[in-house]
Amino acid sequence: MAMLSFEKKYRVRGGTLIGGDLFDFWVGPFYVGFFGVSTLFFALLGTVLIFWGAAIQGEWNPWLINIAPPDISYGLSIAPLREGGLWQLITVAAHGAFISWALRQVEISRKLGIGYHVPVAFSFAILAYSTLVVFRPMLLGAWGHGFPYGIFSHLDWVSNVGYQYLHFHYNPAHMLAVTFFFTTTLALSLHGGLVLSAVNPRRGNEVLTPEHEDTYFRDFIGYSVGTLGIHRLGLLLALNAGFWSAVCIIISGPVWTRGWPEWWNWWLELPIWGTLAHG
Amino acid sequence: MFEPRSQRSQLRDEITSLLLRGGLIGLAAFAVALSFIVVPRLLGQIYPTAQEQTGFRGTGMLRIEFEADLAELGAVNQLPDDWMGGPIPPEPGEELAGDIYENVQVLGHLTDYNFNRLMLAITEWVGQDEGCAYCHGDTGEFASDDIYSKVVARRMIEMTWAINEDWGAHVQETGVTCYTCHRGNQVPEYIWFLPEPNSRWAGSAARYQNLARPAQNMTSNYSTSLPVDALQVYLLEDRQPVAIHGLSALDQEGISNASIYHTYQTYNLMMHFSSALGTNCTYCHNTRSLPVVEGLTPQWANAQIGRQMVLDVNNEHIVPTTEFLPAHRLGPLGDAAKVNCTTCHRGVVQPLGGQSMLPDWPELASRDPIYAVGAPE
Amino acid sequence: MAEYQNIFTQVQVRGPAEMGTMGSGAELGRVGEPFFSRFLGWIGNAQVGPIYVGSWGFISLITGTIWFVMVGINMLATVDYNFALFLQQLFWLSLEPPGPQYGLSFPPLNDGGWFLIASFFLLVAVLTWWLRCYRRARDLNMGMHVPWAFAAAIWLFLVLGLFRPILMGSWSEAVPYGIFPHLDWTTAFSLRYGNLFYNPFHALSITFLYGSVLLFAMHGATVLAISRFGGDREIEQILDRGTAYERGGLFWRWTMGFNASAEGIHRWIWWFAILTPITGGIGILLTGTVVDNWYLWAVEHRFAPEYPPMFGAGEYGTSIELPGVATGTGD
Repeated sequence: MAMLSFEKKYRVRGGTLIGGDLFDFWVGPFYVGFFGVSTLFFALLGTVLIFWGAAIQGEWNPWLINIAPPDISYGLSIAPLREGGLWQLITVAAHGAFISWALRQVEISRKLGIGYHVPVAFSFAILAYSTLVVFRPMLLGAWGHGFPYGIFSHLDWVSNVGYQYLHFHYNPAHMLAVTFFFTTTLALSLHGGLVLSAVNPRRGNEVLTPEHEDTYFRDFIGYSVGTLGIHRLGLLLALNAGFWSAVCIIISGPVWTRGWPEWWNWWLELPIWGTLAHG
Repeated sequence: MFEPRSQRSQLRDEITSLLLRGGLIGLAAFAVALSFIVVPRLLGQIYPTAQEQTGFRGTGMLRIEFEADLAELGAVNQLPDDWMGGPIPPEPGEELAGDIYENVQVLGHLTDYNFNRLMLAITEWVGQDEGCAYCHGDTGEFASDDIYSKVVARRMIEMTWAINEDWGAHVQETGVTCYTCHRGNQVPEYIWFLPEPNSRWAGSAARYQNLARPAQNMTSNYSTSLPVDALQVYLLEDRQPVAIHGLSALDQEGISNASIYHTYQTYNLMMHFSSALGTNCTYCHNTRSLPVVEGLTPQWANAQIGRQMVLDVNNEHIVPTTEFLPAHRLGPLGDAAKVNCTTCHRGVVQPLGGQSMLPDWPELASRDPIYAVGAPE
Repeated sequence: MAEYQNIFTQVQVRGPAEMGTMGSGAELGRVGEPFFSRFLGWIGNAQVGPIYVGSWGFISLITGTIWFVMVGINMLATVDYNFALFLQQLFWLSLEPPGPQYGLSFPPLNDGGWFLIASFFLLVAVLTWWLRCYRRARDLNMGMHVPWAFAAAIWLFLVLGLFRPILMGSWSEAVPYGIFPHLDWTTAFSLRYGNLFYNPFHALSITFLYGSVLLFAMHGATVLAISRFGGDREIEQILDRGTAYERGGLFWRWTMGFNASAEGIHRWIWWFAILTPITGGIGILLTGTVVDNWYLWAVEHRFAPEYPPMFGAGEYGTSIELPGVATGTGD
């Protein structure tokens, strides 16, 4: 069966945001709900459209399928299906699916009587995606600024958009985002490692306690954030990684069109330097 | 324990709750729909931009410019006032400048009118502050070669002919005149000298890198930490190939021995190209693979020719003038001011926005000017 | 509707400082008087310190400081000991590896010699810090998961600064010690070797990096969401599953049809996190040593997309023109 031994007592009615009891049931391990139906609808629609795009492209190698946005010249209007219209429809479907998924997480949180942290966290991921394919294209006045849907084609987009600004690593928000990505991963390895090392101690020892975890980290670096704190820290770091990623791309174009290294001239030109030559 | 509620109040609660939730969800759905359809029209751009696409849709090969920046560039890329009308085609047997004046070495084949017209124009374009005296002194000795600027001007006129005659592949029909670079200045604003090392101490690896030199510097790394010797390497000495890649996946053939430092130098040259033209890397490349033919735009070929032209100009025309130049015209290492892409382009793809001055100045298009019949109107 | 959502610690309780577990001499070597930080207390424990030093920690701190100071003095030398210029240019300054002409030989001090000496001290600092990490785990009878995770990061560090330069036969391939210079190096490295995006191990590494961030967001958010049931007491939940992790598990089961256990999720996150530098290191090690141009390698193995050969602004009718400038005024 799809039900865990303790699961039955948690499968109660209620907690839905919409649809009342209508979709308040499970299929196998999955909770359905109104937003499960809408997720399924949008996900299927998007997938079918991607397959359609692949058929038009005549390419079934998954690395090479490329659903590209319209030319810039279409601006913010609707493009013919074969010339970016599919991309536009898939973008709508993706938003439908992602937002439905987040709302379904809200329903499940309510049903389980737990906090809304997961859907809130997921909404940061949606925000980052929407920034790339909706907000920034809108601010630049053309859907053609969105990234193409393809495994390697989207990397080509990343490369070219980076080099539009000559050297994207000098984008200060990009610096922050990358730092948050690395720091999150570092913190994650430390958290995972610490918990595992406490419940899987050296041979011949009993399972250790949070006091040992705290001791290890205080001994190691002088500070242990604690069992609750590490999850706050991890969530904050992870959300910041997504948030600053969104910031670093939305400022590229709408408010800055030159090479990113040049942005740092404000620092080089601060009055405090007086008559210092620029090198 | 539970207070039994009336059916009515229960129903009221449910309806209220349904309306509330339905309303919220509806509002959210409406907001999403709105954001896709209406908001783009209302929102507009924070700063209006002009854009051009240089590769297949979705590849991100694009250029975005603020209209405000373009307006500034438009304002400074106007032609000088056409204050003298066009040239007058020579009559058969008309007396020439070389016969009339002493020591006219390169422009002796022009008619008196066209010769003086050009002299006055050059004064306007190049020697503004000092007038004729800039080249001829204030003693009235017009034939004298004592003043270096006159000697250099001859070489520069020959250079202008050479560019227009030999480098049509780069300067096209538009061509160049003195004004393309000088814009009223005795020395063009955008020139460069050999860079001084960062410090006496630095060895080869740190001699030219790791200090921010913004674009207003003659040799710049455009505020990166890259080395600033790219112009010297690629626009003067032609010391190493610009290309840094091996042309095969596993490095068996088309081997490249380019070091990381060599790559820095090429990267800086590319930043120079981009900044000089006000473009970016995607104007010439699909950057996913810089050297592969399938990823190069037509402008790439033009840039190749441009680099060869600059090499030719610097080595054949500029460096040879060093012996004539006074100390105050030389760089810190005693070299003449050299040209790079910015010297002509000055932040735009086509110098002067692609406006040609040659129809009015056929004397600069070629040593053998072809005068339009009937001009000027 | 209004429910408590665990975000920050609202009431901070102060007791005597925890001095760490005792026994078998492991408590010896702890130094520093603990203090409390109200700011840190909002997120986690307010207590800072004590810290364990130990002989390996001592060596690590000394050698790390030598590296740091050596880099700083070299940066100062680059600006001829002009301290104001040093501050202005701090992000741009660097201690650069030797030039390519020196290969693996020892170059003059001002041309990469200092870089090699500093690198040696950094290597000692990192390795002794790992030993300290290992010995602390051992002395506290803990598993070796943290030292092994740290070792994964050291693998990437060694590939970048030691293994790959040796395989390439030149110290000039090493990464410079500078804020912006190491970013220049990263881009130049990708440019030189034909686009790292087409390096499959780079792709894997990025996947694990993003996956790690995703997992930490999922895990952190889940634990905070179930913290009202004691979800943060993970060791207890692992040994004797309570309603907190039952709810947390069911959340993901109902959401995506699958859930990890309280212990299992920590195995997932540990592997995702350590595979990031492990795969990344493999990708770097293969670059230039085995594969010279990743894009062409991708073309050979048919995973580089093709685009219609349309290039140049003219093809798309979107040329940028200068306002007030009439082009082609030849006539």
